[in-house]
Amino acid sequence: MIQHTLGLLVKPDTQWRSVAALPTRSLNILVLYPCVLALLPAVAWYFGTSRVGWTVGDGTAIRLTADSALQLCILFYFAMVGCVVAVGYFIHWMAGTYGATTTFARGIVVAGLTVTPLFVFGLAGFYPLLWVDMLLGVVAVSWSVYLLYLGIPIMMNIPEERGFLFSTAVVGVALVILVSLMVSTVILWDLGAGPAFTDV
Amino acid sequence: MSELNAALEHPTYNYKVVRQFAIMTVVWGIVGMLVGVLIAAQLAWPALNFDLPWTSFGRLRPLHTNAVIFAFGGSALFATSYYVVQRTTQARLISDKLAAFTFWGWQAVVVAAAVTLPLGLTSSKEYAELEWPIDILIAVVWVSYAVVFFGTIVKRKVSHIYVANWFFGGFIVTVAVLHIINSAAMPVDMTKSYSAYAGTVDAMVQWWYGHNAVGFFLTAGFLGMMYYFVPKQAERPVYSYRLSIVHFWALVAVYIWAGPHHLHYTALPDWAQSLGMVMSIILLAPSWGGMINGMMTLSGAWHKLRTDPILRFMVVSLSFYGMSTFEGPMMSIKTVNALSHYTDWTIGHVHSGALGWVAMISIGCIYHLIPVLFGKNRMYSVELINVHFWMSTIGTVMYIASMWVNGILQGLMWRAYNEDGTLTYTFVESVVASHPGYLVRLAGGTIFFAGMLVMAYNVYMTTRKDVAEPALPAGAAQGSHA
Repeated sequence: MIQHTLGLLVKPDTQWRSVAALPTRSLNILVLYPCVLALLPAVAWYFGTSRVGWTVGDGTAIRLTADSALQLCILFYFAMVGCVVAVGYFIHWMAGTYGATTTFARGIVVAGLTVTPLFVFGLAGFYPLLWVDMLLGVVAVSWSVYLLYLGIPIMMNIPEERGFLFSTAVVGVALVILVSLMVSTVILWDLGAGPAFTDV
Repeated sequence: MSELNAALEHPTYNYKVVRQFAIMTVVWGIVGMLVGVLIAAQLAWPALNFDLPWTSFGRLRPLHTNAVIFAFGGSALFATSYYVVQRTTQARLISDKLAAFTFWGWQAVVVAAAVTLPLGLTSSKEYAELEWPIDILIAVVWVSYAVVFFGTIVKRKVSHIYVANWFFGGFIVTVAVLHIINSAAMPVDMTKSYSAYAGTVDAMVQWWYGHNAVGFFLTAGFLGMMYYFVPKQAERPVYSYRLSIVHFWALVAVYIWAGPHHLHYTALPDWAQSLGMVMSIILLAPSWGGMINGMMTLSGAWHKLRTDPILRFMVVSLSFYGMSTFEGPMMSIKTVNALSHYTDWTIGHVHSGALGWVAMISIGCIYHLIPVLFGKNRMYSVELINVHFWMSTIGTVMYIASMWVNGILQGLMWRAYNEDGTLTYTFVESVVASHPGYLVRLAGGTIFFAGMLVMAYNVYMTTRKDVAEPALPAGAAQGSHA
């Protein structure tokens, strides 16, 4: 799994091709890939929000209580995995329209590998500094989108132009899922899953 | 003009007015977005207000919204609706003189807005800031527009009225009703008037107008564009014509009720707020019906993508349409709105619709129209269209992403409290935290604006008579030969 992570970051084109060439059984095991990698940001943000904390302006450091951070990071982990599975399902669901045959598992693998940069850059959570995290976030998102447009035609074995349409549809779905995530965060927050801050 | 362009005149159709509006779409797009970039910079660096009343954010912001919605979007709508109604009815516009009046009248409205708004003359109604003399001019121009459009349909040469005309027609009628009712006012003098309505009723009328300005001006009209130009550019029929008819009736029947979601947790009766929220959520169905119809029409034309960046504009605009019409209903849910309202999330949402959907589909249509209107096979540079495409996409994404981060950040900071019940943050801390987002937004907006300059150059070179037309590579037709 590590080799996929490094490969996608260093030589994405070759890596996608080698993943596409994997036999079905080995490919299906990669469904676990996002489940493992999602641990990185979850752990990083737990540590960052409960131990290190962040400052706004020139105020003192703001931290979450350990319980609250644990609860939020567990939710965060499942949200990440859930989103990857949802995007994976839609990749599988839309494949027919764009002339590809896939399985649900293959969809999840494509979605999971695509967001590798987001998982890795999620490590920035160890030191939550707003503008740094935002900058890294922009880089990670752009990189993931690039991986998507590169990977879809290879993994789905379809012409590049068709892959462009497919990838754009996936971006559309991902944006919709992102909005759903924002909305459910707000609703859960309202229902009492909001953070508890330590008293300064 | 007429002598200069005599060679360009079409034997049957009135292309002159379409040409005028198409060019002004590009011009007003640049002006409106430049003001947008300036006020985005003002939010990042308030010193750019220059301590002058005329250049303060409060006066320039309505100038920006009026310029992009009514000048840029309006010109695109006039150009495409006049073109589509002639092509699909196979009849010339009913009156060249009246069509010319709508062009000059509309430009006069825009210029009047550009003068009065910085002077601080405003009715204070959002997206309807213009004072009563200009409102009367708008009403006259708009009724003339309706006469030209529907008159042309009456004398059509084919019995079927193509679905794009239904969308344009619905948009023209509804905007007339909205504008006249919402702008009803009692004048005090030439530059000051008071709304005909009072208190909460005034607010409700305003947002009934405001949301349907989005629903009809910025949605129904642009769906009319989509239903003509997407099949045309893809060179294949609409995926499901039946769906397009259902789409039309469902959209016009539901949109008109969604306005109250702008007034959640205000003095508006609670039941009206809830009704607005429910109708907004139902609205997702027709919106997505239309989006899927457009997407499926395009998905069969994938082999043309390599040579045709105009198709890319259309694909991406439909993606943004799908995303923002999903986001809208979500934000109208009261619980979500309690957090998202008054934050930058709203501004992000508006721009995913305005930049991603409205501007991108308009740009795609204008690139389709310009060669046809100026008697060329294709645009001066297809490569520059491609450059413009990437600038628009990247600019829009940066804009939306930064506003999402800022919106959530502000919403969460405003309601965060410590275990002892005190607020975790002061308001100004949320402003400080928003600063990086404002910079990213400014960068995104600037990139989108710069893309419009690339477009202007490309359009100018296409329209020049002394520039030789580029050779047409095999299979690289833009559909402009049709």
